[in-house]
Amino acid sequence: MILETLLIIAFGGALITYLLGKISKKTRNISAVVVLLALVVIITFLYNISSKEIFYIGFLKNLSLVLRINTFSWLFAITISVVSALSIIFSLSYIKGKERTNFYYLMMMLVDASMIGIVLAGDFVTFYIFWEIMSWSAFLLISYNRGAALAAGMKYIIMSVIGSMAMLIGILSLYANYGTLNISELSAFMTSASSVYILFILITFGIGFGVKSAIIPLHAWLPDAHSQAPSPFSAVLSGILIKMGIYGFILIFYVIVGLKNFLVLGSNWSSFHYILCWVGVITIVIPSFIAILQDDAKRLLAWSSIGQIGYIILGISFGTSLGFAGGTFHIINHAIFKALLFLAVGAVEYRTGTRDLNSLGGLIKKMPITFLVVLIGAFGLIGVPLTNGFVSKWMIYKTLILEGHPFLAFFALLGTWAAILYTYKFIHNIFLGQLQEKHENIKRAPFSMQLPMIILAFAIILFGILPGIPLKIINTIGTSFGFESLNVNIWGIASDTGTLNTVNIFMAILVIGVILWLIFKAARKSVKINQYDNYAAGFSIPKEKYNYTVNFYNPLYRIITPYLKDFIDDFYMWISREIKKMSVSVRRIYSGDIGYYIMYIMLFLALLIFVQIKWNLW
Amino acid sequence: MELMVIMIFKIILMIFLAFIIGIFFLGLARKIIARIQWRYGPPITQPIIDIIKLFNQGSMSHGVLFNFGIILSLTGSIVLTLFLPMGKMCPLSSSGGLLVIIYIMLLIPLGMALSSGEAANPNASIGISRKFILALGYEVPLLLIFLAVMTHYDTISIVKIVKIQSNTGWSLTSLPLLLSGIAYILILPAILGVRPFDIVKAPQEISSGPMVEYGGKFLALATIQHAFNEFIALSLFVNLFLGGAGNPGYFFLKMLVVFFIYQLVNAVFLRFRIEQALKYLWKWPTLLALAGLIIVVITN
Repeated sequence: MILETLLIIAFGGALITYLLGKISKKTRNISAVVVLLALVVIITFLYNISSKEIFYIGFLKNLSLVLRINTFSWLFAITISVVSALSIIFSLSYIKGKERTNFYYLMMMLVDASMIGIVLAGDFVTFYIFWEIMSWSAFLLISYNRGAALAAGMKYIIMSVIGSMAMLIGILSLYANYGTLNISELSAFMTSASSVYILFILITFGIGFGVKSAIIPLHAWLPDAHSQAPSPFSAVLSGILIKMGIYGFILIFYVIVGLKNFLVLGSNWSSFHYILCWVGVITIVIPSFIAILQDDAKRLLAWSSIGQIGYIILGISFGTSLGFAGGTFHIINHAIFKALLFLAVGAVEYRTGTRDLNSLGGLIKKMPITFLVVLIGAFGLIGVPLTNGFVSKWMIYKTLILEGHPFLAFFALLGTWAAILYTYKFIHNIFLGQLQEKHENIKRAPFSMQLPMIILAFAIILFGILPGIPLKIINTIGTSFGFESLNVNIWGIASDTGTLNTVNIFMAILVIGVILWLIFKAARKSVKINQYDNYAAGFSIPKEKYNYTVNFYNPLYRIITPYLKDFIDDFYMWISREIKKMSVSVRRIYSGDIGYYIMYIMLFLALLIFVQIKWNLW
Repeated sequence: MELMVIMIFKIILMIFLAFIIGIFFLGLARKIIARIQWRYGPPITQPIIDIIKLFNQGSMSHGVLFNFGIILSLTGSIVLTLFLPMGKMCPLSSSGGLLVIIYIMLLIPLGMALSSGEAANPNASIGISRKFILALGYEVPLLLIFLAVMTHYDTISIVKIVKIQSNTGWSLTSLPLLLSGIAYILILPAILGVRPFDIVKAPQEISSGPMVEYGGKFLALATIQHAFNEFIALSLFVNLFLGGAGNPGYFFLKMLVVFFIYQLVNAVFLRFRIEQALKYLWKWPTLLALAGLIIVVITN
């Protein structure tokens, strides 16, 4: 009953919020926040409960609709509910004063409700229904800003539909073969399936999930969609919506197909999971380098999202317990820090009206708290020790090295270096350097914007110093899929081949940092000076020429740009242009002239008569 | 409790030794270069005198991050020395191994970059941009080398790597790791930031780059950090490829030899442009390191 109630609250809450918005904006805002916080609370209490309920018997044989919860879906549900609640709180001031706000809240809550539906689905019909609700409401939100956003939304929904069609083929084939779509029953059947059939299922579902999680070469929709969507939704989109694809991957790999079947698919060097690891690695490296070239803050983060998805794919498809745990941990971590960064860009855009990295700068003085949380988020993204991103990446690297795949590890590590370059550019061009004169009167972000960011930043540090909290849960999931149990402690992971102890590192950094700070304080106090009071070798430089942001890594750009064209996107655009051309030529038939239509009818009748006379078919 | 005290004593000793060695190298470097250029050069204790003097001088600050960044960077350097075995000493041996070292190494440029980013001086920004590009340049071969070493010894613990070498001989002389070792030698000047790779500071072009706004205690901390960095870069090489050492004295001797060779390079070369440096680093060292890693994978 509880799962049904949960979904009723989620969907009903969305509807009620919409209706309340017709009466008063204030009650609508309160209702939206209350509903989403209620979801967080309910899901928190569902921890460690596994249950299964049939909520609709259905009219077809063996197609009853089932909801189920276990630790695996709980972990996703809690991430979804927390991130979406925070993004709604952020929206309160972000969306204020814009048009169609009721519609915005309705769609935001629909996306969140449908994502919870996806992770609670116990059969593929339910799964597919919620999947489509999610895709379409996300489409409406991406194109919320109209203009260029419409094109971005169109690209997204076309790719999504192709993906879900592929998935539908897989679902229908499963039903045709086994006569059921219940996930737990299917996993029992699939143990004895032939490897060709397993491959077929993996590929059909993989296209659907791959489009959603934007792995290369199915990523083309993401940079446009993420940058055009309203910022709080970008946070949801990048933080959790693309993780639904990952949820699907884990579901299909380790629940439906099963660990044993999954790993033996194909021979040693050309095995399915190994190829997928390389897909993951390509998804890390190329987008991370493309991100360095971006000048739009959100577009930079969008490319970075694709890169981080690569780590997750690499981790979960590598097929060791450490890799799986690292990949799954990175799902949560990426949800936290990427949501934080998108929200921060939203706050900056809200105050300055721009997110162009070339026309910002020096905002650290005006928005210090936003800067601080961005710094923490960026450290998490890079994987600096004491942030959550470090632990998950450490786990992935370690397993890659010890299992003898140094090349995979190399590209994954290289992606981290690219991440340093683009995150520093991101921080520097927005918050450091010279403050623009037009931004001198910028105020801090409102509290309702700061609060979600502060909570997320706190989570980054908490999971970075005490990674055992989420890792214990992830370990339970891993063992339930048949992975070996890890030796998880609250401070990290112990093993013979190299222990990770984050608390040790934390203590060392803390103590040494504090001592240095004391030394620094004890030395002569420094004088605080103005931003224009700078050393310029005796020359006076005009104020507006004193900022170095445009083409920040210029020498590097000149070397890498020729190699970093998004050929795949170009290819898709070429296909779409060709289809358009073809459609235009087909359209010529419909000239609008009634005479032509009569001619078509006559010709068709003549054809029928001719056929009848010649072959006497009827 | 007694264990705690010994541990803390070891940590302090380690940091102190690292600092002394690093600062000695800074002084020695100036002496060696002076002699090559037929000058007498400053006394070898000059860096220490400078640090004491700088701490007593006044300084200017651009804001909180300007202060915090340099402290963060120096903290990263000092913590890193605790992960590097010197002889038998390695206070934080069981906290993540070489992978953690790779990541803590990030704090050093990042802290510096944050600090001088707030300085809002274009020279500083250009310097940082160059620092990151250069780092991306040498990290490509360096990561390949690290991975070759870790794969060859099948561990991520640097203490274990040193221990295995004491039984089987130096990595540099073992055949599978030979190419990786050569590649490491080729990129060490870039890691140390000496000519021809002193692009980041480039005093004649961008007025010491990231350090342009530093004065007084900031410059003192930057000098201390420079000393630690010198120690870290050399110690990492000695540990991974020259077999570490049984006692600190022998370890120091090995570092001294490597250091001396690089000062000769430093004394005679001119500065690369950043594109030239990147092209150099991504060509021969990367190819060698790649070949080295392939050999290691095959022989395993």
